[in-house]
Amino acid sequence: PLSPQTRAARVRVGKGDKPVTYEQAHPPHYIAHRKGWLSLHTGNLHGEAGAAERAVEDSFLRRFMFGTFPGLLADEVVLKRRGNLLVVCALLGRALPPSKIYFLVGYAETLLSHFYKCPVRLELQTVPARVVYKYL
Amino acid sequence: NLMGARLAGSHVDTQEPKTNPLVSISDEPETLYKRLSILVKGHDKAVLDSYEYFAVLAAKELGISVEKVDKPPKTIERFTLLKSVHIYKKHRVQYEMRTHYMCLELKYLTSSTAAVYLEYVQRNLPEGVAMEVKKTKIERIPEHIKKPVWDTLPQVEEAEVKS
Repeated sequence: PLSPQTRAARVRVGKGDKPVTYEQAHPPHYIAHRKGWLSLHTGNLHGEAGAAERAVEDSFLRRFMFGTFPGLLADEVVLKRRGNLLVVCALLGRALPPSKIYFLVGYAETLLSHFYKCPVRLELQTVPARVVYKYL
Repeated sequence: NLMGARLAGSHVDTQEPKTNPLVSISDEPETLYKRLSILVKGHDKAVLDSYEYFAVLAAKELGISVEKVDKPPKTIERFTLLKSVHIYKKHRVQYEMRTHYMCLELKYLTSSTAAVYLEYVQRNLPEGVAMEVKKTKIERIPEHIKKPVWDTLPQVEEAEVKS
């Protein structure tokens, strides 16, 4: 039973003019029910190691993505790890011309693969505007 | 004219043995596996269900007999931490991590079949959420067990012990 005073990962109800995405609108107790996971790796499974390293890598990758695509990220970055391969999936807005986006993608991929010593693949999708789930 | 063109393109007259470079034939006997048990772990039950359907379908297509598909109960790892950085011992936060399992047992495989199946199934493992732990049981009887020990030892006359 949840207390109304919990404030974890919740957007507080306001006047009705704040657009909120599906990811932001749902508090964390909906994670396996209405929400999915943002970073998929085997570190948190029972009997598996490496959860802390994955968490550090995840936080670095999210800050890196937030910095290389300034103002373009429409939603949270989804990270997937298949064996050695790191797949970074992101939703971008259409503020920059495609040539610049291609350069940023190549820059991010080569830099991250040299930094983490593993193949990094960036999968992007552009969206005209942020997908609003509701207004709070 | 068309008949001549067709015969020119076909390889009917050439007698070259078709050797597939990917298939290797060796003379040594293959190791046989009585049972191949694959345990898949994951956080999301829907992903595990779809992976089970995929693995069972792949086994049926390759002709491998599936012994059973077991679904052990999930394990929940819970811990309770302090909610605040400094004091407020009475207010805590609880987290839990659920791990769902799915065990696939296959019967009577050869080593090459097992290698092919495992490679295919492992390449298509979903990201992160499912993890595979494989246990194989090998069938072989060692030479020294085949005959009972008391037949092989030289016969020693027992000296009677008088108490």
